[in-house]
Amino acid sequence: MADESRIAAARSTRSLGWAIVLFLVLPITIVVPVSLTDQRFLSLPQDGLSLRHYVNLVQSAAWLSSVGQSFVIASGATVISVLSGTLCAVGCWRLGSRWSELVRVLMLVPIIVPTIVYALGLYRLWVQLGLLDTYFGVMLAHGVTGIPYVVIIVSTSLANFDPRLEQAARNLGASVPYTLRRVILPSILPGVVSGSIFAFIHSWDELVLVLFIASRAIFTLPRRIWDGINEHLDPTMAAVATALVAVTAILLVLDMRTRRQRSE
Amino acid sequence: MSELRQSVVVQRMVKRYGRVAAVDDVTLEIERGEFVTLLGPSGSGKTTILMAIAGFVQPTSGDILLDGRAITRLPPERRNFGMVFQGYALFPHMTVFENVAFALRARGRPGEEVQRKVVEALDLVQLSPYAQRLPRQLSGGQQQRVALARALVFTPHLLLLDEPLSALDKKLRADLQLELKALHERVGLTFLYVTHDQDEALSMSDRVAILREGKLVQFGRPRELYERPATRFVADFLGKSNFIAGTAQGGDGGTLAYSAGGLTLRQAVAGAPPAPGAPILVALRPEKIAVVADTPPDTANAVAGRIAQWSYSGTHFQLLVDTPAVGRMIATVPAWRCRIEPATGATVHLGWDPDATVIVAEDASADSPH
Repeated sequence: MADESRIAAARSTRSLGWAIVLFLVLPITIVVPVSLTDQRFLSLPQDGLSLRHYVNLVQSAAWLSSVGQSFVIASGATVISVLSGTLCAVGCWRLGSRWSELVRVLMLVPIIVPTIVYALGLYRLWVQLGLLDTYFGVMLAHGVTGIPYVVIIVSTSLANFDPRLEQAARNLGASVPYTLRRVILPSILPGVVSGSIFAFIHSWDELVLVLFIASRAIFTLPRRIWDGINEHLDPTMAAVATALVAVTAILLVLDMRTRRQRSE
Repeated sequence: MSELRQSVVVQRMVKRYGRVAAVDDVTLEIERGEFVTLLGPSGSGKTTILMAIAGFVQPTSGDILLDGRAITRLPPERRNFGMVFQGYALFPHMTVFENVAFALRARGRPGEEVQRKVVEALDLVQLSPYAQRLPRQLSGGQQQRVALARALVFTPHLLLLDEPLSALDKKLRADLQLELKALHERVGLTFLYVTHDQDEALSMSDRVAILREGKLVQFGRPRELYERPATRFVADFLGKSNFIAGTAQGGDGGTLAYSAGGLTLRQAVAGAPPAPGAPILVALRPEKIAVVADTPPDTANAVAGRIAQWSYSGTHFQLLVDTPAVGRMIATVPAWRCRIEPATGATVHLGWDPDATVIVAEDASADSPH
């Protein structure tokens, strides 16, 4: 009897688990059939599958320019996040005092504060600095809000780093920058790579900040999708969304592989 | 005259963490070319002293002098001291060759010199065939030798070793002790060695500094420390010891009579004997006790007792003997042609000469109430 009830409980737990997985994954997968529709509006395929919206995507100057812009901005933002986030994590790790703990918490502010509040503040500041609707302005906004991901992941890497390696390097006559470059960075490299992947994804699909600080010149991919949904229900958006999902999935697989290498 | 100067001096060093003194007013003078060991249980401050000499711990007060020059404020990378870390701290992403080359590359030496010196250093520790391996592909003993080569390749002023053998098994440890000692003689460098293993300290060092609760208890040659321990702690930590508490009676001709447990025992004294009536504590090494079965031995001191427990270790028997007069005593007797047959409950007589024992002081304890 006890066994049966335990089996039943296990079965219901498993069903619940699968329900949650489906709930998480289905909305993503729905865009795939929609992107293959043969209709001229957002809908499931009716008479057959068609790649016409993908063709449209690669032929449309507007979409392609958005892909290019998103890529440039995400790359720039990643550089900003990774540089400052890694240096911050290494600095906090070396100091190791209560103050560094405070700094680390402060670095998490961009993901604690609601994005809309952050966006409002950035908008006011960017007006004064003349950064509205510029590449650099968006890169900076995405770069700063991407820092927490880098700080968290690199700090985790550093927690596993043997501090005696740093002492050994210093003892062998290496200055602090040389130690950082030759000993600390190579050891935490998987964490840095992982952090940069997350920083890139963060910028790649960020919408709220862009809505606030960009107008005519900057049209990132998420913003064009947003506009498209508001103005006309072009299935090209579904094709773009599928491409976005694919890029993100590839990056995550890369991340998992670097993590596996690190644990070996 | 630089040859006559002390090589490294730790001068009245104090290191406090909050209210706890990890190192409490320690002064050590280490001569050029000496092999000195800092020995103590964990928490005795030995590693803190080593780290202060290496430059990773800033003393609260006091100075570190190298050839008479204060280096207390010098950052570690400018001290030019070799160090073998506990667990070796080899760079896991670099080959053996690159690990050993690290110090030379950090100093910007030309490639030809790096090549030549690394090959020399790897030859010194017989690891040349392993130059292109990664540290994790080597055994513990080999890693230890890479760490040595890495610490010696840049001709440092001295070599610091932080429990370098603690991760190895017993047999390998004994081999490497001999190797380290031979290496010390070959390179002629000052070695400063930290360990909690008394055998290592006794077998390798020119001098041993014994530390307890952040204080230096005794500093001297291994034999001197073993034969003439200054305090109860030294006698107990360095090998085993029996302790007999007694009351001084009177001295004549270099021996002191003292009473313990209703017996009158004799103790050889060099200078002035303690005043009659003064409490004394005497340490007696287990191997200096003669054990006989039947008649009391003809030594100056003799105590009878019963064997409470015994064990055999190949080279000798260890006996725990309960005596009515001075409590439980440990005695070791060579197993080869042993004059008694150990058996639990058997009556034996323990005898020792007046010069077999030594008067030791009780240790002042920071945390005991009295």
